[in-house]
Amino acid sequence: MKDNFINLVKPLLPKTDYCSFRFVSKYTNIISATRGVVEPVITSEDDGLMVTIFHNGGFGYGATSNLTQQGILQAVESAKEWADFSKNKLTYRPNLSKLKNQTGSYYTEEEDNWSKVSMKDKADYLLSVNKALKSQPTISNWGASMRFNKIETLFMDTNDSHVRQKISYLLPQIIASAEHKKEIQTRTFGGHAHARQIGYDFIDQINMVQKAKILAEEAVELSKSPNCSDKITNAVIAPDQMILQIHESIGHPLELDRILGDERNYAGSSFVTPEMFGKYQYGSKLLNITFNPTLESELASYNYDDDGTNAEKKYLIKDGLLVRPIGGLFSSQRLDLDHVACSRASNWNRPPIDRMGNINLEPGEDSFEDIISSVEDGIYLQTNNSWSIDDKRNKFQFGCEKGTLIKNGKFAGVVKNPSYRGITESFWQNLSKVGNSESNNILGTSNCGKGEPNQTIFVGHSTPACLFENVDVFGGV
Amino acid sequence: MKDYFQKISHKLFNSLEKNEILILNFDAEKTDFVRFNHAKIRQAGNVNQATLTLNLIFKRKTLTSVIRLSTDFGKDSLLLLRTLYYLRREIPELPADPYLMYERNINSFENDITSNKLDAYAMTGNIIDSCNMLDMVGILSSGTIIKGFTSSLGQFNWHESESFNFDWSMYTESGKAIKQNYSDQEWSQKRFTDLLSESKEKLKVIDNKEIILEPGKYRVYLSPSALNEIVDMLSWGGFSYKANKIGSSPLHLMEKGERSFSKIVSFSENLSNGISPKFHSDGFIKPEKTDLIVNGKYINSLVSPRSALEYSVNHNAAEYYESPVSIHLNKGLINSNKILETLKDGIYISNLWYLNFSDRNNGRVTGLTRFGCFMVENGEYKGPINTMRFDETVYNVFGDKLVGLTDKSQLLMDSGTYDERSTYSSTIPGAIVEDFKMTL
Repeated sequence: MKDNFINLVKPLLPKTDYCSFRFVSKYTNIISATRGVVEPVITSEDDGLMVTIFHNGGFGYGATSNLTQQGILQAVESAKEWADFSKNKLTYRPNLSKLKNQTGSYYTEEEDNWSKVSMKDKADYLLSVNKALKSQPTISNWGASMRFNKIETLFMDTNDSHVRQKISYLLPQIIASAEHKKEIQTRTFGGHAHARQIGYDFIDQINMVQKAKILAEEAVELSKSPNCSDKITNAVIAPDQMILQIHESIGHPLELDRILGDERNYAGSSFVTPEMFGKYQYGSKLLNITFNPTLESELASYNYDDDGTNAEKKYLIKDGLLVRPIGGLFSSQRLDLDHVACSRASNWNRPPIDRMGNINLEPGEDSFEDIISSVEDGIYLQTNNSWSIDDKRNKFQFGCEKGTLIKNGKFAGVVKNPSYRGITESFWQNLSKVGNSESNNILGTSNCGKGEPNQTIFVGHSTPACLFENVDVFGGV
Repeated sequence: MKDYFQKISHKLFNSLEKNEILILNFDAEKTDFVRFNHAKIRQAGNVNQATLTLNLIFKRKTLTSVIRLSTDFGKDSLLLLRTLYYLRREIPELPADPYLMYERNINSFENDITSNKLDAYAMTGNIIDSCNMLDMVGILSSGTIIKGFTSSLGQFNWHESESFNFDWSMYTESGKAIKQNYSDQEWSQKRFTDLLSESKEKLKVIDNKEIILEPGKYRVYLSPSALNEIVDMLSWGGFSYKANKIGSSPLHLMEKGERSFSKIVSFSENLSNGISPKFHSDGFIKPEKTDLIVNGKYINSLVSPRSALEYSVNHNAAEYYESPVSIHLNKGLINSNKILETLKDGIYISNLWYLNFSDRNNGRVTGLTRFGCFMVENGEYKGPINTMRFDETVYNVFGDKLVGLTDKSQLLMDSGTYDERSTYSSTIPGAIVEDFKMTL
């Protein structure tokens, strides 16, 4: 957004109790090659504005992709009309005096810029990854892709705030499926876990070609492996499954808008109730969870949320004790709780709601090797492929792509279709070892869905591998 | 908006160079969204958006740009001509696409359903007044949805409709809930009041002491909404030609003829309700009806033009993702007015939630009960049940363990609003199923 555009729109902020303009410019580029063929390459450019107005006890928004002066004024008018209509009809009336002037910026550090590498080079690289994937004859499906997103936002309001942020992230993906006696097993990289605010150099770092060979071999091995047995056992959960465990059974239940009931018709509420903060032992003393928007390259690092609140690291769970919810400035006012900068919108056409940012499990003291060697009988679970949890975020069942049995502190064979189920309130009490910072992984998922109207947003999770006792593990049909 | 689309497309077509073909898809909506909690407004506003997808084809190569529009002709002309230039500059870099297929025949039609009878403020006022003293939470989406297609070969298609979708639930003080949906093209206060009265009656029944179920196998009634959740899982690759070929379909064993459903189960993709546009994003016209499963046997998949070329078969104008947009399950014989008597002893499940595969190869699905689930004894409501997790194969639900389907279906409009308002729907009856496995 250029300065002359900013100068043009600033006078359009209306004289109301409070008004903000949130411009979003989103660029997406997806390149993929599947079964040896480059699929149609897609780029998208999406510019728009959300006008938010609080006035006389009412609230309304107007969102438009028409960024002409006339279009912006129409959006202001829509927001005003809904603010007028909703006067005395709102679920709660926010305290606007808590809103302060905010001025600042945030930019993703990209070592190698996405646009410096040609489309042809990217496509050729993905074809070489495809070739590595099809290195085994029983590979029945294979593919690789790269998704690049750049999101620029400009936030200005009647408090004279001016916040500019530019977040760019990269999501590489690989898939390999192998068939053996009509049994298909799949290994993936990236899908739910490996999005980062990082430059194109990440592609070199992770060496997709080498990774493709390993995934193809693992898919073939899995297709010939026995089903996972049903048993209560010790489970070492790898970071690319821990991300889902944290996301579904800590992140979502701590979202304050769920606790306040806003999501009861769609994404659900929470077993967590307001009186539990400061008193409830969420997990064992090894459990430390932070809201941390400051970790470099993590997917949801930023300096301000979409209500213009400045972001800082805060503990949500400390030594197992529930400390604070994931609630933005406005939500937190509804219960007089401390807030975090988590009021986020998926785009210019959706209003901010309470979302996870980076929700991280802080590293412990055990190396990965020490954790495995401590397990007499158990299973190592890798890479999520199925997720389901009840509307209060308690009864969960998660499936993984790969299970590796552990006997007497050593790996002892691969099993297919490993899943586990449990109840959040008891599961985290059984956390008995947390990997150290050397085994910590910075991960992120780009497709967390929630809200009415629906919104998909990117969130980060950094976590090491962890050991849980008494886990109900089972296999396929 | 139609005039704008025609004008901007002519501008672009006139800028094409020799041997270039341009395919354009237009998506727009003007929607008022009102989000409710505790029967009051949580967030309310208006979204006005338009998007043009440009697909340039040159020497069997293709490149796509998706551009958000202002719908200001002068501003958009500059942006789109710049985009066309970008596509023209980049397309030589790409390899030829062996699976490129687009409609060369011209089949133009327009489908305008505009009433201008929807007043979001009046509807919101109605809802708030009618739900006074109730703990209602939900979303009202209301306004115009537009889909357009045109190509430089001369075809033009237009689909415009105005509708609303009010999706809500009501809670008791003890946290029990009933979910409802009302969607149509014109708001009827009487129809809404009737639906609200039904919900209030159910709330009275459900606001009793919870019965805690033990894991085990239960005879269940799955309402159309609950059964639709399981159908959604079938639609996740189950009817896709490509997914069956690469083995990611939950129905791949059925497609291979090794498994089957009950003879009373017949699924089709049926666009006759007019909710989804009948034109494909590459210009092909979709058949009104495609039989998918007939009398328990897998008959057809949904085949996209790309899959048709990859696997050398005919396509049936399915989109790239090869999922149904308007799935239809044939009705059965169970008297819809005597569900409790027919169920006799078991669980009445109004809604299921958060389904996923626990073994995709074998069509095994897990999920949870949610909203309005009751224990039934001797054909009468006994009381609400606690939230239970199920884990069951679709071959049991639609096969050996299916007792029957109800004699009335329900049209279920998708209330989804990710990026834009959905035009998906399904027409599904209820079902009674034996030995439905609850695990947690």
